[in-house]
Amino acid sequence: MAYLGNRLLSLVLTLFLISMVTFAVTHILPGDVAMIIMGTQSNPEALAGLRQSLGLNEPLLVQYGRWIGGMVTGDWGTSLVFREPIGPLIAQKAAASALIVAMSMSIALAAAIPLGVWAAVHRDRWQDGAASTTALLGVSLPDFFWGIMLILLFARVLGWLPSSGFVHPADDFGGAIRHAFLPSLALGLGLMAHLTRMTRATMTGILQQEFIRVARAKGLSERTVIWRYALANAIGPVVTVAGLQVGYLFGSIIVIESLFNFTGMGWLTYQALLNRDIPLIQATVFTIAAVVMIVSLLVDLLYTVIDPRVRLG
Amino acid sequence: MSALVDIDGLTVGFRTADGPVTAVADVSFTVAPGETVCVVGESGSGKSVTSLSLMRLVEFGGGAILDGRLRFDAAAGPLDVARASDATMRGLRGNEIGMIFQEPMTSLNPVFTIGRQMVDGLRLHRNLARAAARARAVELLREVRIPEPERRLDQYPHELSGGMRQRVVIAMAMACRPRLLIADEPTTALDVTIQAEILGLIDRLKRETGMAVLFITHDMAVVAQMADRVVVMRGGRVVETGPVERIFAAPQADYTRALLAAVPRLGEMADRPAPEPMRIPGAPVPAARPSAPPGDAAPILELRHLTTRFPVRTGMLRRVTANVHAVEDVSFALAAGRTLSLVGESGCGKSTTGRSVLRLVEPTSGEIRLGGRDITDLGGRDLRRLRRDVQMIFQDPFASLNPHMRLAQQVAEPMRNFGTARGRELADRVADLFDRVQLPRSFLNRYPHELSGGQRQRVAIARALSVGPKVIVADEAVSALDVSVQAQVLNLMMELQADLGLSFLFISHDMAVVERVSHDVAVMYLGRIVEIGPRAAVFADPRHPYTRRLLASVPIADPARRREFAQADTAPIPSPVHPAGYVAPRSEYREVAPGHRVLV
Repeated sequence: MAYLGNRLLSLVLTLFLISMVTFAVTHILPGDVAMIIMGTQSNPEALAGLRQSLGLNEPLLVQYGRWIGGMVTGDWGTSLVFREPIGPLIAQKAAASALIVAMSMSIALAAAIPLGVWAAVHRDRWQDGAASTTALLGVSLPDFFWGIMLILLFARVLGWLPSSGFVHPADDFGGAIRHAFLPSLALGLGLMAHLTRMTRATMTGILQQEFIRVARAKGLSERTVIWRYALANAIGPVVTVAGLQVGYLFGSIIVIESLFNFTGMGWLTYQALLNRDIPLIQATVFTIAAVVMIVSLLVDLLYTVIDPRVRLG
Repeated sequence: MSALVDIDGLTVGFRTADGPVTAVADVSFTVAPGETVCVVGESGSGKSVTSLSLMRLVEFGGGAILDGRLRFDAAAGPLDVARASDATMRGLRGNEIGMIFQEPMTSLNPVFTIGRQMVDGLRLHRNLARAAARARAVELLREVRIPEPERRLDQYPHELSGGMRQRVVIAMAMACRPRLLIADEPTTALDVTIQAEILGLIDRLKRETGMAVLFITHDMAVVAQMADRVVVMRGGRVVETGPVERIFAAPQADYTRALLAAVPRLGEMADRPAPEPMRIPGAPVPAARPSAPPGDAAPILELRHLTTRFPVRTGMLRRVTANVHAVEDVSFALAAGRTLSLVGESGCGKSTTGRSVLRLVEPTSGEIRLGGRDITDLGGRDLRRLRRDVQMIFQDPFASLNPHMRLAQQVAEPMRNFGTARGRELADRVADLFDRVQLPRSFLNRYPHELSGGQRQRVAIARALSVGPKVIVADEAVSALDVSVQAQVLNLMMELQADLGLSFLFISHDMAVVERVSHDVAVMYLGRIVEIGPRAAVFADPRHPYTRRLLASVPIADPARRREFAQADTAPIPSPVHPAGYVAPRSEYREVAPGHRVLV
């Protein structure tokens, strides 16, 4: 419990630092928020009035104080582009992104673990080479390339899946999955390659441990030895790496969501950046940072369940 | 009576990157029911491969049985293990043949409870329901004298000590009442008192159940303690087979004779006051040594009340809440040209003491004096200068040499570092050092991986000698070496001592070696010296209960002097961790004879 308290406290402190950095960066960047809102051709007096009403003339510290106060109390301001309150907007888009992040992670783990185990069991034989080559291919090609290939194959040629758009699971669950599938797969392929290599390396080490020999000496079948005794030990490191990759996924969704016109957090961030929607940039960056940190905390907590030797303290 | 195991012409090969290698060639021997057969040999002798072949576990390590018959008299009738199906083998493993391995720390699956790992085999071979299997597991744990067996079932391996884990592994191997127990170096990684418990346990289980034991070891003393018959192996072949008494009394093969000669026997130095070189048959008897200076000469190295504690930090602010009392109020004096051995079991503080002398760890309090000068607080240039006078030889010559540097470079490095020689002179000095440690000069330009373990340890010794130290701290310097190589390295060290007047702080857990090489002995337990004195006095007349227990636990390489190992002492070892404010009592000693002091 003390550990959780410490971690939560340090999470809050880190988020506080992140909020300062994002706030500072977006304010130091060239360009004037008022001008972005009203356009370059606008009347100087109207601009001055808008600056006054947005509080842009006050000291930076006061502006930051007002912003962070709003963030804490749930008033995240209004998007300049969408002209909507940012809070509900982010909540809605984050849910959409959570869907493809979860799906791509599931796809990646479901493929990577068997493939990595298979490669480790057949170490230094052709199966291992095949798995390693597949993994290398996945890692070395960028995810937008896979995105384009998948769109061509599944949407254009085969016509099995939609190439773009987002459907809310509450409206049409099947439709939501079908729309999320290709972007998830595109995201998941790179991750899968990474996790396959990780699983292989971890399993290779574990299969040489003495307790594996002891398990065989007990007369257990190879299936039990590999899929229970060995994998139970490999799963911890693999899950940890997968958890850390959630941050990487949130980075990648900016490209993938835009490519598939999937209106999630990545798409929203892209729109915010494109239109210099400063309050929205701040809120999206802050949200992504918070999600990454919370996920890594959850992974650490999960580790205590997976590996009884790990006691947090 | 027909044999339980009849191995005939076993040949095992391995695929390697450099092509196929034959690890075991034409090995034949038998094991009768209820008999203990010890297979003994040095590293690379093929003893482990032979035992793994009997379980057909070699194939999981890239090996294959190429030839030979492995007849095993199973309950359902005799069969040839070499040709049995995988399913048949799974039915034998853990059921009719149990096996225990060397490393108790890694023999158990760290993420499963003890109970789950024990129940698995019982359910598989005996078709027991979960509750019945658990009940049987409790019985088995009780049989191997594990206290509170019900509670252990729900514990994980890391919650148990090394000795306890090895007993769990034995319980697992015994689960289905095997006809044969294969024990592959089961006590090599354990402390000597725990080894005694495990050897006693295996022997008792054998007598109670009538099973046969195939015991693989490199340790002749363990062979003498355990074996009915002995199989001596070397380079993948059987050198000699025979009853244990005959092997020890009248070995036939030259190799067996050499192996036995090199083994020190505890107690053989009883009436000899000075250290003696190890016996190496064929090698010339080392010349008589000038006798070492008396122990009360002015000490070259002196420790006064040395205390080293490691802080345990917890919480967000990483405050020190407790201390590991690794070394607690240790005092001794080491005179020039003498060897003081620090003995004790893992965690007793002997290595920390050795490292403190070089200031590789910072003492918490106390005083270290070298040549009469206090070096406890030296820093910078003076500390560097100190490291010229005190050098260290580490246990693992595979890890203590840089794999990317030529050997000559590694031996030259300290001299270059201290600027004691350069150019032509440096090269000559390195070559001389190679002569000194009896390594051919052709090795100068080689890399560590091209050498054997013993050769590497010679390089490490040459490196330590290169700057002309007065004191050498040898931390388990021969423990990783095969016995014949160990004898050569020890003789080299003793020769260097006589020629150069070196003082050794010899840190070891091997009482028989310590008895042979030391002038003085200090026994450590829980960070303190519990007994210290001239070697002959401590070994002949041990006064502290721990010293007695330690000496009584050492098996003797003589089948006529087998020991009855007492039942396991299951009391937990007291912890050296104390809360932050703890004031440790001083170490007070009583002098029982001149120079022989015992902790009161």
